[in-house]
Amino acid sequence: MSRRYDSRTTIFSPEGRLYQVEYAMEAIGNAGSALGILAADGVVLVGEKKVTSKLLQSSRSAEKMYKIDSHLACAVAGIMSDANILINTARLHAQRYALSYQEAIPVEQLVQSLCDTKQGYTQFGGLRPFGVSFLFGGWDKKHGFQLYMSDPSGNYGGWKAAAVGANSQAAQSMLKQDYRDGMTREEAVALALKVLSKTMDSTSLTAEKLELAEVFLQPGTGEVQYQVCSPDAMGKLLAKAGLTQPAPDA
Amino acid sequence: MLGHKPSLPLPPHRTPRSAVSANLATPAMSIFEYNGSAVVAMVGKNCFAIASDRRLGVQLQTVATDFQRVFKIHGKLYLGLSGLATDAQTLYQRLVFKHKLYQLREERDMKPETFASLVSALLYEKRFGPYFCQPIIAGLGEDNEPFICTMDCIGAKELAKDFVVSGTASESLYGACESMYKPNMEPEELFETISQALLSSVDRDCLSGWGGYVLVVTPTEVQERVLKGRMD
Repeated sequence: MSRRYDSRTTIFSPEGRLYQVEYAMEAIGNAGSALGILAADGVVLVGEKKVTSKLLQSSRSAEKMYKIDSHLACAVAGIMSDANILINTARLHAQRYALSYQEAIPVEQLVQSLCDTKQGYTQFGGLRPFGVSFLFGGWDKKHGFQLYMSDPSGNYGGWKAAAVGANSQAAQSMLKQDYRDGMTREEAVALALKVLSKTMDSTSLTAEKLELAEVFLQPGTGEVQYQVCSPDAMGKLLAKAGLTQPAPDA
Repeated sequence: MLGHKPSLPLPPHRTPRSAVSANLATPAMSIFEYNGSAVVAMVGKNCFAIASDRRLGVQLQTVATDFQRVFKIHGKLYLGLSGLATDAQTLYQRLVFKHKLYQLREERDMKPETFASLVSALLYEKRFGPYFCQPIIAGLGEDNEPFICTMDCIGAKELAKDFVVSGTASESLYGACESMYKPNMEPEELFETISQALLSSVDRDCLSGWGGYVLVVTPTEVQERVLKGRMD
């Protein structure tokens, strides 16, 4: 192991690796997982909440899901404080685009600009990379619904289904087996819950540990909607998928 | 309040050819009167109404008769912008930018009072090169209490309990509203009152008119109506 090449982000190792970037990905591997699935009528994002203490009193409605613009949202895996900075950058970028062009920013352009920011931290400045991986789900006129995954190196790709965070390898291979083109949102949600239940470390799957968000077109108006599932609705979905733990006093 | 009288900086004996094409005898026109506008808002019983004219002119010539001057910020907050049309559009776009970011961060809509402060701050930032607009803000606050206010082009806020007016027809609007307004009107009566006030005022102003656009907002619904008045 070439330990002397660890300390600076801006140096390649003799084997041609960027250790800081790889260590950042290690950090993400310990964080709560997130899954994204592209359905025919929307994008489904599911996240596992790692900290579920009763004492936690959060002012935000969601911990892993963030709205970037009215047609774009993302799920996060990794260091939350790093994620907050990048999400803010993404939101500003989306609004600046909308101000200049009076149009919603195409999904790939937003992802690309964010990844360009992330890449900067691997090449100059001497600052460490961001320890976050994102799953972006959104809709635009040109390509319809899209799902993108990005990592600390600044690489990104468009995916039909993707997983980040803890046990992402296992989740990814399970998704590869069970994903079918043209799935509806409902089927995608069911698949996501099934995969998460098998790959999550915790023994039981309860509504408090999960977050579900969907990006879809409103049936009447055709406007893009971003909706986070309420805990009650979440409980019902889990029951429907046959994944809830029986009640303790049953 | 800053008046509407500053003229375009012109050399003493010539008018710039770009500004006046056919009519060489036009005197220097105030920048606030370049496009022509009339905007008014009134408070009713648990509701408010905001209305504007629809003319867009280039000095004496009418160029559009469906110009939008009242913009939605969110379901219970509307912004009317009189004055220079390009500044009205740009100001609205910049405010949408700020409001969208506010919504994303705070996960709620902005209160009308807060929005008014935002508009005022935005205008004062351009203190020595202002936006040539006079905004009217109308919304339903917490507990659906109606809120209206106006400000001059550099952000001096004026809160009112009854009505606010702005635009080239503002003097006529002041008179019409003062005589026609009464407090606690129901939405239907408020609509009638604001429409009559608007139409009679723009009829006395050659730069505004070509119909009207009225929005009446209650806690449960929003009614948009287009008025047909003297189409000139």
